[in-house]
Amino acid sequence: MSGMPLLEVEDLHVTFRTASGPVHAVDGVSFTMKPGSSLGVVGESGSGKSVTARALLRLFAITDDVQISGAVHFDGQDLLRIDERRLRDVRGGQIGMIFQDPLTSLNPLMAVGEQIAESLRLHRGMSRSEAAAEAVELLARVGIADPEQRATELPSSFSGGMRQRVMISLAIACRPRMLIADEPTTALDVTVQAEILLLLDELRRSEGMALMLITHDFGVVAATCDDVQVMYAGKLVEKASMAHLFDRANHPYTEGLLRLVPRFEDAHTGRLHPIGGQPPITGGGGSSCAFAPRCSYAVDRCRSEVPPEVAVGPQHLSACWLATDRAKDTTEAGQPWRRAQ
Amino acid sequence: MGMQTTTETMPPSQRPRRGGLRRWLRDLRAGSDRLAVGGSLSGLLLRRLRDGVIVLLLVVTVIFFLAHVVGNPALVFAPVDATDEHIAELHRQFGLDRPVAERYWEYLVGLAQLDFGESTWQQRPAIDAVKEALPSTIYLTVVGLGAAAVLGVVPGIVAGARARKPFDKTSNLLSVAALSVPNFWLGLLLILVLGVQLGWLPTSGRFETASIVMPALTLGIVHGGRIFQLVRSATFEEMSKPYVTVARSKGLTEWNILRRHVVRNTGVTTATIVGWEYVRMWGGAVFAIEYVFAWPGVGLLTIDAAHRQDFFVLQAAVIIAGAFVIFSNLLIDMGYQFIDRRIAAS
Repeated sequence: MSGMPLLEVEDLHVTFRTASGPVHAVDGVSFTMKPGSSLGVVGESGSGKSVTARALLRLFAITDDVQISGAVHFDGQDLLRIDERRLRDVRGGQIGMIFQDPLTSLNPLMAVGEQIAESLRLHRGMSRSEAAAEAVELLARVGIADPEQRATELPSSFSGGMRQRVMISLAIACRPRMLIADEPTTALDVTVQAEILLLLDELRRSEGMALMLITHDFGVVAATCDDVQVMYAGKLVEKASMAHLFDRANHPYTEGLLRLVPRFEDAHTGRLHPIGGQPPITGGGGSSCAFAPRCSYAVDRCRSEVPPEVAVGPQHLSACWLATDRAKDTTEAGQPWRRAQ
Repeated sequence: MGMQTTTETMPPSQRPRRGGLRRWLRDLRAGSDRLAVGGSLSGLLLRRLRDGVIVLLLVVTVIFFLAHVVGNPALVFAPVDATDEHIAELHRQFGLDRPVAERYWEYLVGLAQLDFGESTWQQRPAIDAVKEALPSTIYLTVVGLGAAAVLGVVPGIVAGARARKPFDKTSNLLSVAALSVPNFWLGLLLILVLGVQLGWLPTSGRFETASIVMPALTLGIVHGGRIFQLVRSATFEEMSKPYVTVARSKGLTEWNILRRHVVRNTGVTTATIVGWEYVRMWGGAVFAIEYVFAWPGVGLLTIDAAHRQDFFVLQAAVIIAGAFVIFSNLLIDMGYQFIDRRIAAS
């Protein structure tokens, strides 16, 4: 693994202009990913995690009036500035993407094999028959039985989990160097979720792909990712290695999220601890910590100044005015989500 | 037909009685011809044929009584200087001296034997006049529909795919204008500009090949406007589905997304929309257009027959046009069901 990052996102801003004013969905996000690494992006709905992922490939609907600024360096080029033609080479060829709802992510009137072959012919210049054969291979690769027959079938004859497998085979078809999975298991049964996560993890290792996994579920990240970053209101509020974060969560929002992971042991005694209040609809532009209104630790400064990212440990950043103090307190009292266990 | 499928699982004693007025009325209620999966196509066909016959019968009845109460063909047919005896003679000749109910019954008995009655004006079987006019109307509506499809489908797809861009806004405005303008007024406008002022095209009748251009164009613009609207919204809706984003994430060009993915999915809808417009044409616009352009079709024949109080021609024309509408409807429905099932089955 070289020291050069595969992906380097610098000060990414995404603003949607809507009838009711601009919405700053992503507000100054920076991060890097090394080749073959795995990164979990966690946050509530509306925290900007999906928009961040889509902004990397500029995947917005033509009706979205969207402004993107910052830089997305991938493999020596800035994805926000290259022309459409080169961007299309990256889409599917260099970066594959998996989406939330496998039921609607596939064309209902095109045989699944054909949908995979389409990518292969486009990026790898395969002939029709080569691509068809490779599509069958790929279906087998993601664990679909009788792939030759299944490749000719329409998505309607596949279950949700199977469709997500098809989606994955489609995303990895051109051996991309990076895979973005946007809530890949949210719409699936729990048992199927685990299978899909295992598959993603296994593929990442065998293909040497970097995996960016977007989810609202810490359990999913814990199972799959080495690093994790937490987003709130369009900003990164904390990033760390997965193991480190579970031990030393620093930001009060991360703490709140961790306390939300239900524990089997608590089934009879414990209660879930929802974070009070609602996340703001438009992130950014403010002159305070966006989480302050919901934060039980908030002090005056939180409401008047935006907290910077502070290093609180090795490879561990937290955007909180209390970060340094909180990092020092490693006692039981300082780790309330552990107490909840 | 959800009710029909549930009866299959009920014990015989609880099954509602099949046939009879109640069931028939229930079937007539809106939406009853939507088939559950497993319902038979021939069942649908039979029900629709039955409904078609009933509709035609109602139409014939209304027109028959309206015409016979309001008009008197003998007065129209007789010369201006005709004597009272002459008119009374015509009355007898046309059978107008007998009670309306008797004449109505006779007419129905004739209809059952495909006898549409005699034209009072042309002194020949009414159906012959309709048969003569029918090919002209079919020709006009088919060419007109072709024009409407060209004007509506392709721009509709492009506008839907490039929603809120200049092309969409411009074409949308034009289409709203096209379908808001009265069709006969548009026809007159074309006559004025293309026919009278520029002298490019013949303005009326069907005497040369180019005669078709203006009436077909008028139909094309009016119906193309509506086809455009529907195709545009179908395409727009399709473009906002997640699988289109997926196709984009694969690196496909917008053109290939449209061509390979979106059009495939909107195809059935588009075909249905175009089919419906054809039916609508028969239901209205073609009559006005034929009149404006003196196009010798069923529309013109109907209007002339009404003027001349030539009841049997009027009735025959309405029955044939009505039958055409019902038949086209049926064809569209069957086609739609057929494609839908093939998709569901595969």
